Amino acid sequence: MTEPRRLHLLRVAIALAVVFNVMALIVLIRPKPIAFTVFMFLGQPLFAVALILLVVAALAELRARQIL
Amino acid sequence: MILAASQAASELTVPLPHGWIGTTSQWIEGFGLGLVVLDLILLVLVWYWLRGRDAMPRMWGWVLVAVGLVPLLVGFMTFAHGLESSATVSACGSCHVMAPFVRDLQDPKSDTLAATHYKNRFILRNQCYECHSDYGLAGTITAKLAGVGHVWHYTTGSYTLPIKISKPFPNSGCLECHGESQRFLNSPSKKEILPDLMSGKMSCLDCHGPAHPEQKKETHL
Repeated sequence: MTEPRRLHLLRVAIALAVVFNVMALIVLIRPKPIAFTVFMFLGQPLFAVALILLVVAALAELRARQIL
Repeated sequence: MILAASQAASELTVPLPHGWIGTTSQWIEGFGLGLVVLDLILLVLVWYWLRGRDAMPRMWGWVLVAVGLVPLLVGFMTFAHGLESSATVSACGSCHVMAPFVRDLQDPKSDTLAATHYKNRFILRNQCYECHSDYGLAGTITAKLAGVGHVWHYTTGSYTLPIKISKPFPNSGCLECHGESQRFLNSPSKKEILPDLMSGKMSCLDCHGPAHPEQKKETHL
């Protein structure tokens, strides 16, 4: 995987983490059932995707540095 | 005289225990908010660092913290706070179709079964949830899944008025608290019907219902 591709994956992961944090902020400030449901069924899967992208980018980086 | 006494009582506040530092939920909320702010700052910094390719090797640790570690903690705090908050009376009352039930529940002048339990503090907190969820892990899971269904129906407007309980209220909801109470077990009026109450042949609400005020027929909003 090329470096620009790795950077792109990281940027997407960061953007998803920001969305996750905003959803968490709403639940923490105004814990209404709708906000919590959205956080559970949308926010957490988005964070899971961010984590997967992070792991993929990290593994690609390690391979590029020939550590793996 | 009685009115004056009740007004005076409502102005009084129960003293907090010595060394009160707030509830666990308040601490979780505070820590959660702090972590969210910290993580948003970290994410912005990492985003800008990514612009300079040379910084790439040095900032991996911060990326792992900002995208992996701190959001994990945020997720845990938010889940705990959201789960706790979703069981409160205010959470149930946040859907306007539940407002008449909550208004009656919190009305000191109401004599419905729900209001009697609320105003006399027979149930300390989360009164809706305590009565309308079965006990045990399965009860919690079922209640939460039902809650998701309620949110769905409310958001999409796929509900009918007046609101009705989805299945007959089980006696276990009452017997969880009353069932092992000596006052209940030794009550002369209960001794004969106790087996029927325990087996569910007779409903507690046959004598003590309705738990909530009758709902007016309304057109769908």
